[in-house]
Amino acid sequence: MQGGSNGVGYGLKYQARCIADVKADTDHTSFLTGTLSLKEENEVHLIRLSSTGTELICEGLFSHPNEIWDLASCPFDQRIFSTVFSSGETYGAAIWQIPELYGQLNSPQLERIASLDAHSSKIKCTLWWPTGRHDMLVSIDEQNLFLWSFDTSKKNAQVQSQESAGVLHSLSGGAWDPHDYNALALTSESSVQLWDLRTMKKTNSIDHPHVRNLDYNVKRKYMLVTAEDESGIHIWDLRMLKFPVLDLPGHTHWTWTVKCNPEYEDLILSAGTDSAVNLWLASPPSGDKPTTESFDSPYKPVDPLLNSYSDYEDSVYGLAWSCREPWIFASLSYDGRVVVESTKPHLPRK
Amino acid sequence: MEVANEVAMDDKAKRMRDLLSSFYSPDPNNNNNNSNNVSSRFATLDTINTTSFDADQYMNLLVQKSNLEGLLQRHVEMAAEIKNLDTDLQMLVYENYNKFVSATDTIKRMKNNIVGMETNMEQLLEKIMSVQSKSDGVNTSLFEKREHIEKLHRTRNLLRKVQFIYDLPARLAKCIKSEAYADAVKYYTGAMPIFKAYGDSSFQDCKRASEEAIAVITTNLQGKLFSDSESIQARAEAVMLLKQLNFPVDNLKAQLFEKLEQFLVDLHLESKEIPHTSADQGNLRESATSAAHEASIREFAEAVRAYRVIFHDSEQQLSRLAQNLPKMHFEATQQHIKTQLASCDLVAMLRIIWTDVLLMDEVLPEAGLRDFTMEAADVAVKQYIASRFSHLLLDISGAVVKVGNQMEGVEEENCLQATLEASKKAVLQGSMDVLLDFRQLLDENLELLSKLRDLVVDWVQEGFQDFFKKLNDHFLLLSGKKYPSGQDLSFREGIQGDKILPALVLVLAQLSVFVEQNAIPRITEDIASFFSGGGSRGYENGPAFVPAEICRTFRAAGEKFLQHYINMRTQKISVVLNKRFTTPNWVKHKEPREVHMFVDLLLQEVDSIVKEVESILPEGVNRKHRRTDSSGSTTSSRSNPLRDDRMVQSNTQKARSQLLESHLAKLFKQKMEIFTKVEHTQESVITTIAKLCLKSLQEFARLQTFNRSGFQQIQLDIHFLKTTLKDTADDEAAVDFLLDEVIVAAAERCLDPIPLEPSILDRLTQAKLAKTREQGPTS
Repeated sequence: MQGGSNGVGYGLKYQARCIADVKADTDHTSFLTGTLSLKEENEVHLIRLSSTGTELICEGLFSHPNEIWDLASCPFDQRIFSTVFSSGETYGAAIWQIPELYGQLNSPQLERIASLDAHSSKIKCTLWWPTGRHDMLVSIDEQNLFLWSFDTSKKNAQVQSQESAGVLHSLSGGAWDPHDYNALALTSESSVQLWDLRTMKKTNSIDHPHVRNLDYNVKRKYMLVTAEDESGIHIWDLRMLKFPVLDLPGHTHWTWTVKCNPEYEDLILSAGTDSAVNLWLASPPSGDKPTTESFDSPYKPVDPLLNSYSDYEDSVYGLAWSCREPWIFASLSYDGRVVVESTKPHLPRK
Repeated sequence: MEVANEVAMDDKAKRMRDLLSSFYSPDPNNNNNNSNNVSSRFATLDTINTTSFDADQYMNLLVQKSNLEGLLQRHVEMAAEIKNLDTDLQMLVYENYNKFVSATDTIKRMKNNIVGMETNMEQLLEKIMSVQSKSDGVNTSLFEKREHIEKLHRTRNLLRKVQFIYDLPARLAKCIKSEAYADAVKYYTGAMPIFKAYGDSSFQDCKRASEEAIAVITTNLQGKLFSDSESIQARAEAVMLLKQLNFPVDNLKAQLFEKLEQFLVDLHLESKEIPHTSADQGNLRESATSAAHEASIREFAEAVRAYRVIFHDSEQQLSRLAQNLPKMHFEATQQHIKTQLASCDLVAMLRIIWTDVLLMDEVLPEAGLRDFTMEAADVAVKQYIASRFSHLLLDISGAVVKVGNQMEGVEEENCLQATLEASKKAVLQGSMDVLLDFRQLLDENLELLSKLRDLVVDWVQEGFQDFFKKLNDHFLLLSGKKYPSGQDLSFREGIQGDKILPALVLVLAQLSVFVEQNAIPRITEDIASFFSGGGSRGYENGPAFVPAEICRTFRAAGEKFLQHYINMRTQKISVVLNKRFTTPNWVKHKEPREVHMFVDLLLQEVDSIVKEVESILPEGVNRKHRRTDSSGSTTSSRSNPLRDDRMVQSNTQKARSQLLESHLAKLFKQKMEIFTKVEHTQESVITTIAKLCLKSLQEFARLQTFNRSGFQQIQLDIHFLKTTLKDTADDEAAVDFLLDEVIVAAAERCLDPIPLEPSILDRLTQAKLAKTREQGPTS
C-alpha cells in the first residue's frame, strides 16, 4: 500500500470508542463508527476506503440519539447494525437500519428496527454471530445474558432466552465463537465464562481476573485470546483451561482490546490505553515442542511483536480488521480519529 | 714316464708305445682319433708329445719354421731326449719282469698249502653235531619245572594283592591318624577295581571297613576345605582328593561360593556405615573403621584367591561376584549422593572403592574391575555433580521463598532486605561452594578421578549452564510468569495456594540483576581458572558454559520480573480504583464534603510499595539528594506546611482556568512521554507505578458519567493527590500532567462541568491534611 506505515486518517467530530467492520459489504472496505459525546448530538459514520486505498470517504453520516458505547455491524446485511448507548442514567440497545438511497437524502435518518429493551441494568455490548447468517443476537448487560431472535423481514427482535450470570459477576463483554453458534465467552470481573446458548448455562470458566476484552481465533478452533488491564495478552486453548498456552506482553498501560485476524492465523491486533496499536504474530506451541527445544532456543525467540503503531494522540479503544481485505485494519482513538492501516509491510514472508 | 714312453721315432717304437698306452691308459683309441684329426689340421711343433704325432709333417714344419742354427740346436736337444727315453724304457721293462717272477712264486706256494684242509673240516662238523644233541637233551629235561615255577610266581602276586586289600582298612586308619590323606586315597583308588569286582562277595567286610575309613577321610577333607586356617595348597589338594574319590565337588563349590557371597554382603553393610561414622565422629574412629574395612577386603580377596586356586574353572563366576563389590559400593555412594554429600566425602568413598578394587584386581584381573569401576565412577561423579546443582537450586529457592513466609512479620522491609541478601548469598556462596567442591574432585590425586578430569570439567561447565537455565525457569515459575509443565506441577500447586507475593517478584528481579552482574562474572572467572580445558565435547560445539548467554537471559528475566512486579502492584491499585469508580452513582453524586477515603487507600498502597521498593532496589544515581527529604514516606510533604501553602495557593489559581488551560496545553505540548523504560532503581519503579496508576485513574474516569458534584469530588481528590504524590514520584512534570488529565477526563464526562471554587478546594484539602496529620502520630 502506498504511504508505507502511514495510515489513512479520518476525523470524527467528537470523542469515540467504537468502530466495526461492515462485513456484509463485499464490494467495499468500509467501517461503521459512532461517537461518544455527552452534550452534543452523536453521529454514526459510514466510512469507506477508496479503491486506491489512499483515502477514507464518508459514505453516510447519521445522527444517533445518544452517545454510543458499543457498535456491531450485522454480518449478513450491510445496512443493519446494532448499538449500545446511554445518556446519563439511561441506557439502551437497538438495531438500526441505514435507509436506502441515503445518498440522495439531505439528512437521512436511521431507522430503528428493533429495541433491545429487556435489560434492567447497564448494557455492555451486543454480539452478532460472526461467521454467517444466523438470526440471533446476543446482548449482555452487567448481570444478564439475552438471546434475541431477530427477524429481518418483520423487523423485530424478541427475547429467545435469558439467563443471569449472578449478581456477583459483573459482566463486561463477550465474544461469540465463530466455529460454533452455541458457544459464547463472557468476560466478568473475576473470570472468563464459557456459555452454551442451547441450555443457557455456563459450561466452563477460566479463572483469570481483569479480562477486559476477548476474541476467538477465527482460523484456529478452541483458541481464545484475552486482553487484561495489566498483564497483557493471553492465548488460551479451550481444551486446557488451567494455564494459557501463550503470553504476550501487551501494552505499557492497559490492553483494551484484541482482535484476531479473520484470515491470517496467529495474527493478532491489540489496542491499548498507552496510545498504541500492536501487531502480534503469536504461534502457540504445538504439542511436543517444549521437549525438543535446546538450551539456546528459548533465548533467541522471534519477537512476537511485529509492529507497534504509536502515532496516536490518545488511548485507542476501537479496533477492527477488514474482512474484505484482511491485511487492513481500522483503529479509533478516543480523540475521534480513525486510522486505517495496512499490515502488509510487517507480515512475515511466507 | 708316459711322456718318455711315447717318445718313439720309428714304427717299432710306435707299436711299442701303442701297446704300452693300451695297457696304461684307459682309452687310447679315443685319444688317438682325436689327436689324429687335430694333427692333420693343425700342424704345430707341439704335437710331438701327442699320440697323433706325424714325424714327416713335423720335420717339414720344423724345416720351414727354423733356421739352420735352430735346427742344429733342435737336433742336439732331441738326441739327448731320445737317449733319456731309452733308459727309462729299459727300466720299466725290467721292473715288470720282476713282478712276474714273484707272482709265479706265490702261486707255487699256494698249491702246496691247500692239501690238508679237507680233513680238518670234517672234524669240525662232527663236533658241532654232538653239541647240538646235548643241548636238546637239557631243554627237554628242564621244561616241566619252569612252568611250575611261573605258576607259583603268579600265585604269589595274587596273594600279595589280597593281603593288601585285607590290610587296607588298617592302613587307611593309619593314614587318617597321620593325616596322610593323599596316600589313603591312592590306596583306596588302587583297591577300587577289586572292590568293584569282588566287593559283594569275598571282600565284603574289607570293603565296608575301608569305605567307612574313606567316609571319615571325606569329611576330614571337607573340613579341611572349609577351614580358612589351612593353607591354600592343602585345601586345593583336599579338593583334588575329593574329586578323586568321586565326591560331588560342585556342591562344595556352590557352598564355598555362597560363603563368599555372604562375605560380600557383610562387607556391604559395613561399607554403608562408613560415611556415617566419618561424618559423625572423629578421625580416629574413621581411620579405625577404614582399617577394619581394608582388612576385611583383604580377607575377602584372599578368600577369592583361594577359591580361584581351588576351583580352576571358576573365573567367570568369581568375576561376577567381584563386580558386585564395586556395584554395591556405588549403590551406597549413590544413596549418599541423593542426600547431600560433601565432595571430600565422595572422594573418600571413591578412594575406598579404588583401594578395594585394586586389591581385588590383583587377585582377579579377569573380572575387569578397573574398567568396571571407571565406568561406575563416571556415572557416580556425574550424578554427584547433577545432585549438587539440584541441591543448590533448592537452597536458593528456599532462600527466596522465605520472602513469602516472613512477610507477615512486623519488620517487613528489613526482612525483605534480609531475604534478598540471603538469596544473593545463597546464589554466590552456593555457587562458590559448589565450585570448591568440584575443584576438590579435580585436585584429588586419585587415579580414578584423574582419568575423569576432562569429563568432570565438561560436566561442571554444562552443569552451570544447565543450572542457570533451571534457576531462571524456577524464578519464572515462582513469579508465576511461567506455567509448570508435567513433572513440576505438584511443586507448583504448593506455591499457588498462597498467592504469589509482589515482594517476591521484586526480590527475584533484583536477584536476577545480581546474578547477571555479580554472580556470573565471578563464576566465569573461577571456571576459567580451574575448569578450562575439557574438550571431549568437541570444538565445534564451543565451551559448554556460555556466560554471555546466561547474562542475557538473566538481564531479560530481571526486566521481566520488574515489569511483572509493577504490573502486580498496579493491578492491586486498579482494584481499589475500580471499586471507587464503579460503586457510586456518579450522576446523582452529592456535593463533595471532604476528600474521599479512596485517596487514603491509594496513598497507603503507594506507601507500602515505596517501602518495599526502597528496601530492595538501589537508589538511582542521579537523584541521590531525594532520599533525605522523602525517606520513604509522605511525612515530609506534611512536615513542610509553608511550602504546601504556597503550592495550594498556586493550585487554586490554576484551578479556575484549568480546563481551558489544559486543552490549550494539550494543543501545544509535545506528546508527553509518559511511559519510559523502567530501570532497576527505586525512583524509576515508583515513578512508573505512580504514572500507571494515574493513567488508570484517567481511564476509569472516562468510563463514567458525572454530574457536577461528582466531577467536583474528583477534582477535589485529585487536588489532594497533587500535594501528596509530588514527593513520592520522581517525574513531577509527568505526574502533574497525568493528574490534570484525570480532571480533564472527568470534566469531559461531566454533564455540567463547573469546577469547585479554589477557596473551597483549598479548605477541604487543608482539612484533610490536618486530619491525616492528626491521625499520623497516633497510628
